This record gives sequence, C-alpha cells and structure tokens, in this order.
Amino acid sequence: MLRHAIKRLLVSIPVLLGVLFIGFMLMQIVPTDPATVLAGPTASAADIEAIRESMGLNEPVIVQFGIYLGRVLQGDLGRSLISNSSVVDELANTIGPTIELMCASLIWAIPLGILFGTLAAVRRGKASDRIIMAASVAGVSMPIFWFGLMLIQYVGFKWQILPFQGRAGPLWTIEGLRHIILPAITLGGVFVGPVARMTRTSLLEVLSSDFVRTARAKGVSERVIVLKHALRNSLIPVVTLIGLQIGFLLGGAVVTETMFAWPGVGRLAVGAIVSADYALSQGAILVLALSFIIVNIIVDLLYAVLDPRLRVS
Amino acid sequence: MTEIHVSMNPVDEAPATAVTARRTALKKLMRDKGAVVSFVILTIIVTLALAAPLIAPHDPYDNNLRNMLKPPAWADAALPEHLLGTDGLGRDIVSRLLYGTRTTLMMGVMAVLAGGIIGSFMGLMAAYYKWLEGPVMRIVDILLSFPSILFGLAIAAVLGAGIFSITIALTVSAIPTIARITRGAAVVQMQMEYITASRAVGMSDARIIWLHLLPNSASTIFVYLTLQLGQTILLGAALSFIGLGAQPPTAELGTMASEGRNFLFFAPHVSTIPSLVIFLIVLCFNVLGDALRDVLDPRLRQ
Repeated sequence: MLRHAIKRLLVSIPVLLGVLFIGFMLMQIVPTDPATVLAGPTASAADIEAIRESMGLNEPVIVQFGIYLGRVLQGDLGRSLISNSSVVDELANTIGPTIELMCASLIWAIPLGILFGTLAAVRRGKASDRIIMAASVAGVSMPIFWFGLMLIQYVGFKWQILPFQGRAGPLWTIEGLRHIILPAITLGGVFVGPVARMTRTSLLEVLSSDFVRTARAKGVSERVIVLKHALRNSLIPVVTLIGLQIGFLLGGAVVTETMFAWPGVGRLAVGAIVSADYALSQGAILVLALSFIIVNIIVDLLYAVLDPRLRVS
Repeated sequence: MTEIHVSMNPVDEAPATAVTARRTALKKLMRDKGAVVSFVILTIIVTLALAAPLIAPHDPYDNNLRNMLKPPAWADAALPEHLLGTDGLGRDIVSRLLYGTRTTLMMGVMAVLAGGIIGSFMGLMAAYYKWLEGPVMRIVDILLSFPSILFGLAIAAVLGAGIFSITIALTVSAIPTIARITRGAAVVQMQMEYITASRAVGMSDARIIWLHLLPNSASTIFVYLTLQLGQTILLGAALSFIGLGAQPPTAELGTMASEGRNFLFFAPHVSTIPSLVIFLIVLCFNVLGDALRDVLDPRLRQ
C-alpha cells in the first residue's frame, strides 16, 4: 500500500515538472521585457541592464527555470498582465467554486451511477438492462455543452425554474444552492453513464464468483447477496474508474464553468488563454494540474479503505 | 476432440488464421444491427462532408444580415432556400454544417491517425525490444496521468488558440492509450512460436515487426482507434466550444454551437443543430467501436 502510494507520488513528479516547465515557457514568451517595464519610461539603458542582472534575466535558461521554480515554491506566480492583480489571489478566489462544483456533481452522479449499474446487473439481459446500457453509451457520446445548453434553454429560460448565470454565494444559502443546481446537473450528467457501466460489469463478475454461490447455497436472499456481499466487493474497480475519470471531470468542469459563468479556475484559465494573459494562464494550468495530482493520490488512498488486502501488501 | 495443428511452415500459419478470424468477425459484425446502422450513418456523414463544396447550397461564409436567424423549414417564418435556417450573420446553416462537419472530422481523424502512428510505433518497440519497455511505458504512464483537457489548455496557451494547437493537443492525448493497447496486443504475439521461427530463419527485426507483429496486432489497434476517434472528436468540439479551437468565422461544429449560444433563447436551432450532429457522429463511432471490440477482441470486453 505504502509502496503503491510512493510510486504514484514519484510518477507525478515528472508530470509536475512538465507542467512547471510549460508555465515557465509561458512566462518566457511574454512579448514585453519585464526589466524594461519595471525600470519605467525614464530609465537609461544602463539602469535596465542593471535590473536585468538583478532579476537574473541574463542567466542561462536552465538557471532561470531554477529561479522560477524557487519563486513558485514560495507561492509567487507573478501578476496578471491584464488586471495587474496577483495571480495567487485570483487563483485563491476561484479554486473554491471549482471544488464546490465538482463535489456537487459527484455527490449525486456516483450514487445514481451505482444504482443504475446495480439494477442493470441484477436484471441482466432484460429490457431495463438494455435501456440503461444504451442510455449510458448515449451519455458518453453526448457533448457536455449540448446537455448544458438544453438545461439553460428549458429549465433556466423557458420555465424559469432555476438560475443559470454565475454563483450567488455559499451553498448554505438558498440562492447559492439554487445557482449550483444546473451546473452540477450538467457536469454530473456525463459521469453517470461510465459509473453505471463499470458497476454493472464489476457486479456481474462478482455475482458469478464462488462466495456468492456459497451464499446462495445456504439460502441467503438475493437482496442481501447483492447489497451486502457483492456490491461492496464490486466497488473497487468503480473507485479505480472514478480516479481515471477525474481528468475527464476536469475537462467537463472547464466547459461547464465557461457555459454557466461559474467563477472557477477552468473559466479563469480559458479567459486568460483567450486574452493571452500568460502569467494568469500559467498559474491556472499549474493549479488545475496540481489539484488533479492531489485528487489522484486521494483516490489511491481510498483503495486501502475499500480493500483491506491492499493495506497489508 | 482437440485439433492438433502440425505445420511445417510456422511463418505462414499465424497470418492465415488471422485472416479467417477476421472474416468470421465481419460476419458477426453484420449481425449487430447497431453497428451496421452506425456504419451506414457514418458513411453518409463522411460522404456528405467530403462532398461539401459540391453539394452545399450556399457559400458557408456568405453573410446576409437581412436574413439572419431564420428558423428551420418546419417553422412558419422559414425561407425555402435555407432548409435548416440561418445563423446570427444570416449564413446558411446547411452549408455551414457540411463544411463544419468536414473541419471537425478532419481535426479528429488527423489527430487519431498521427496519435495512432506514434502510439503504435511506441507500443511495438516496447513489446519487441525488452530494454525499451521500461522507458517507453514510463513515458506512457506520465502522458496517461495528464488529463487531455490540460494538454488542450497548455498547448493553446503556448501556441495560441486555433485548429492547429487543438489538433496537436488531441494527438498527444491519443498517443498513450494507443501505445499501451498496442504493446498489450504485441506482447501476446511475441510469445507465439512463429516469431521465434521468424527469428530462426534469419528475418531482420524490422521485417518481423512490420510483417508479423503489426498485422497481427492490427485488429486491436483498429478497435481502439475507432473508440478513440469518438472521444477525440468530442474533446475537439468541446475545446472549440470554449473558444480554444477553430476560430470564427471558420465553420466547425463546436465553434458553431458556441456562436449560437448568443441566440439560444430566440433561435435555439443555431446551436442545437451542430451539437446534435456532434452527438450523432460520436455516438456512431462509440457504438461501432464497442461492436468491433466485441467481435475482434472479446478479451478486452469489460
């Protein structure tokens, strides 16, 4: 278990370095010379040169990368080229809503997916199984923005049931809760299909195993077999899948945030890239990658909770 | 009774059985209604997209502000010459759809082809040369652990938004899956006697890889390319939708859906129609890919 976790951590180091290098590259292609900007319009060429020297801009690229790494480790990601606010502040304001949206999506999508998957497995080959599986293929193929646009058009605009623009405050207020519903349905919607599919496959496999046959033989009711014996054992591959799909969820979050004007990191990143705000986009990409790595490690640790065998080895 | 094959020429044997296996697979595939329907729909869509310059009723970039946001033919205020209506600049949606499908498919196919070539090359090398396995598979692990949306964001940030950046991002995100699948299929082949036999008769490494390893892993690679194509097209459309892919006025399905957002409340067809076409294309690729996987490579069925 520990070895597994350490291995995961080691694999994520090159990923992190790669992301940091992309961030560094972004800072390199900024069209204006930072030393000239800092020196101000009245500075002489010698002043600019002195500032260049003091900022380390005359060092070789690899040394500059080292300096950049040092600054990032100290939590200094520079300033937005457009609003001139600190990138770290901008990120601190947007990471919360992104986590909020992801949790609000998973909290209904995963149980629903497991429920559908279980139903399909128990009624294998029957009409309900086929309908659930067809719906899950359709769900995987559906562009997330189309689903979101439908919700905005009907639930948001035509029937005026729920708001669809932005975030209205914390989740414990009624308005805040109302604002997150449509984005959370959109983002969670693409997740139900894969979870249902994986649950079905995994449950079918467990249901044909020896211990289930033994349980049947001693007369345990089918309901208890499915709910107490089989489902629990079939959840491990489902957790794996959820871990693998976190990247997919991140992609969905970027689209959903953009569509619903949800003030999260994804929307910030897209806005920064479109307006060529290099400092801000390097920060946003860095934070997205970092949160992805952290979630993956958490998922890995979750295995140990679900599967005691992993704790020993 | 178990059949015992005695062959004096092991080099010929494996490809011959592979061909018969493929023939029975095709028969099985023909019985799968979903797969046949998907294949027919895809053929029609691809043909229409390829023939866009010949059959498009209007110029897809021809603005006409007097005719903007006309509804499709089934609505009252429709114009007979615009079957699916017009968009916010009065451009004909049918024509834009034909050209847009072309752009979307082109992005997806280019990316999956390039990713497929690089990925399967990596996979074959890792399977054939044991010493390459470690390094190549580590690279694959690293690429695989990186969400494709982040490739899209990072590459668009460095190179600027556009079709080119997005195609590169889609290519990079297709490589690791294909490499891993190819290696898996090729490693199985490596254990077969015909590979040992080919070595024994003095075939060069390159010939063995090209003439034996690749053809015998091809069906697995093909299945995954089909499944990957659906996902790649979906991701490409999503990246275009958020403004990082094809830039207006280029006709591209994701971009068209995005442009239509501004008129969602009074002319929903402008963004709904391109979205539905994406949905249909991806659905067909996924159904076809699933069916192909079931008949060609039942081991991989989850």
